[in-house]
Amino acid sequence: MKNSRLKYKLIAYSMVLSIILPLLLIIIWSFANRWQWPSLVPTDYGLRGWSYIFGARAKTFEIICISMCISFIASIITVGITIPAAKAMAHYNFKFKKQIEMLIFLPAIVPTVVVAMGIHIHFLRMNLGGSFSGLVLINILPCIPYSYWILKNVFEIIGDKMNYQARVLGASSTQTFVYITLPMIFPGIITALSMSFIVSFGQYFINVLIGAGKITTFTMLMFPYIESGDRTMGSVYGTVFLFASLIGLVIVEKLTSSMYRGKLKEYKYV
Amino acid sequence: MLLPVLIILIGILGVGVMTTFTQSIGYFSAIGSNDFTLDNYMRLLTDKGLIESLVFSMRTSFISAFISTLGGVILAVAVYKLGNEGDLLSKSFRIPIIVPHLLSVLLIYNIFSQTGILARILFSLGVIDSFESFPQILYLKNGFGIILAYVWKELPFIAFITYNVLSKLSTKLSDAARNLGANSFQAMRYVVIPLLIPSILSSFILVFAFSFGAYEIPMLLGATYPKALPVKAYIEYINPILSNRPYAMAINFFIASMGLFLAYIYFKCFERVTRYEKQ
Repeated sequence: MKNSRLKYKLIAYSMVLSIILPLLLIIIWSFANRWQWPSLVPTDYGLRGWSYIFGARAKTFEIICISMCISFIASIITVGITIPAAKAMAHYNFKFKKQIEMLIFLPAIVPTVVVAMGIHIHFLRMNLGGSFSGLVLINILPCIPYSYWILKNVFEIIGDKMNYQARVLGASSTQTFVYITLPMIFPGIITALSMSFIVSFGQYFINVLIGAGKITTFTMLMFPYIESGDRTMGSVYGTVFLFASLIGLVIVEKLTSSMYRGKLKEYKYV
Repeated sequence: MLLPVLIILIGILGVGVMTTFTQSIGYFSAIGSNDFTLDNYMRLLTDKGLIESLVFSMRTSFISAFISTLGGVILAVAVYKLGNEGDLLSKSFRIPIIVPHLLSVLLIYNIFSQTGILARILFSLGVIDSFESFPQILYLKNGFGIILAYVWKELPFIAFITYNVLSKLSTKLSDAARNLGANSFQAMRYVVIPLLIPSILSSFILVFAFSFGAYEIPMLLGATYPKALPVKAYIEYINPILSNRPYAMAINFFIASMGLFLAYIYFKCFERVTRYEKQ
């Protein structure tokens, strides 16, 4: 028994370490001014990369803000449109239910590359190409399956009984939604928002295509350095990206939980 | 209630895929072409580079999805068996979920390139005497670097899904098996794993489909030849000669059809996932 536990421990720790260590490595690399072959640790630590990307001429900060705005708005819209869909799917039966659910899951499986190339020409015609709203719109698509999946699970768990009770006691459907449904699905909303934010914030290809060179998002800033194999700069951008996503997640949680203070005690993160 | 989400899905996804299709069969007014043609599909069938791209994409996605699934399930089971101690571990293997694919390229590059950390460690141990003697791992025709990057990103995802399902599964069935004399390995192998199969299979398909259609990793870590299918489609698409675009669209439509097919299979698996959860 003891022996097998040791085996599980060995497997679990070694795999988790090999997942986490590469990430620590980019944080170290971002602080390396020089790290030449064949030394195992940086030969010269410093802030060269950091001062470059946050220097006066680089618009990094501005671009992070724009990217975050796009992702926030896309996430909010995604969650807004998937709440009713998830509720309908979890609580009601109707025709073509399975086919509709399959359609909702499609963006996770049919590559966004394909969709973006197809829709590109229509976006250009509608003046959405290279516009903020165009980017938000295309960013909603890959978020839908994740948000839907999370929310549908929540609706299935809480069931429909509480809503009936409120309705029987004379609440209107709006009141039922605001005072009963919303507080109950709240943890799910935060998870869905966070997940959508992460999915959208990491998009590269669709942003290049629909952004049409007029709007730059953070991943587009990062791409050339990773492409050319510039480790220090790539790692600085990578580290900034990770921190920005974490900040984004904290903002999502703070903003939403400030609306429903004290109701989130047993809530766990994604 | 379904209307808003359907508007977005049909308006963007539906119209996007439809446009891909209509352009691929010759209706592309921007170049004044309005005649039905199957030329692009004929070209698709006869293009030798394309078949190699297809094989390449299929192979790298399949191998990476397979390794991710196997490793992810092993990791999830190991962490699950550790009980409370595994709790922290289960949180830490969620971290790669927030890392975009673009960044996983950098991680793999940092470690496995000829001047990467692995080569440096081998050098300081005296195994190799210069970075040239460290074998080239990335940018190879066999797509090894691509597979590494996908595995780093997808293995934790599978582990996360499997771990969630595992901790939701009722222990009654495996307890019953133990009670009837099965050892813990047998209970795992004949009771728990079969219950996990639908969710494992559906996440395998999800990961496979994703890496089949994704562009960043094969673009950055792949060889110049053969190119992955989405990379090839994109290169044909950005070709300044507009008359080339319908051909790109034919490749795209082919990728999309593969996706539709996989979605169907995914859905068949997904229907079974929830069947054995705790009531």
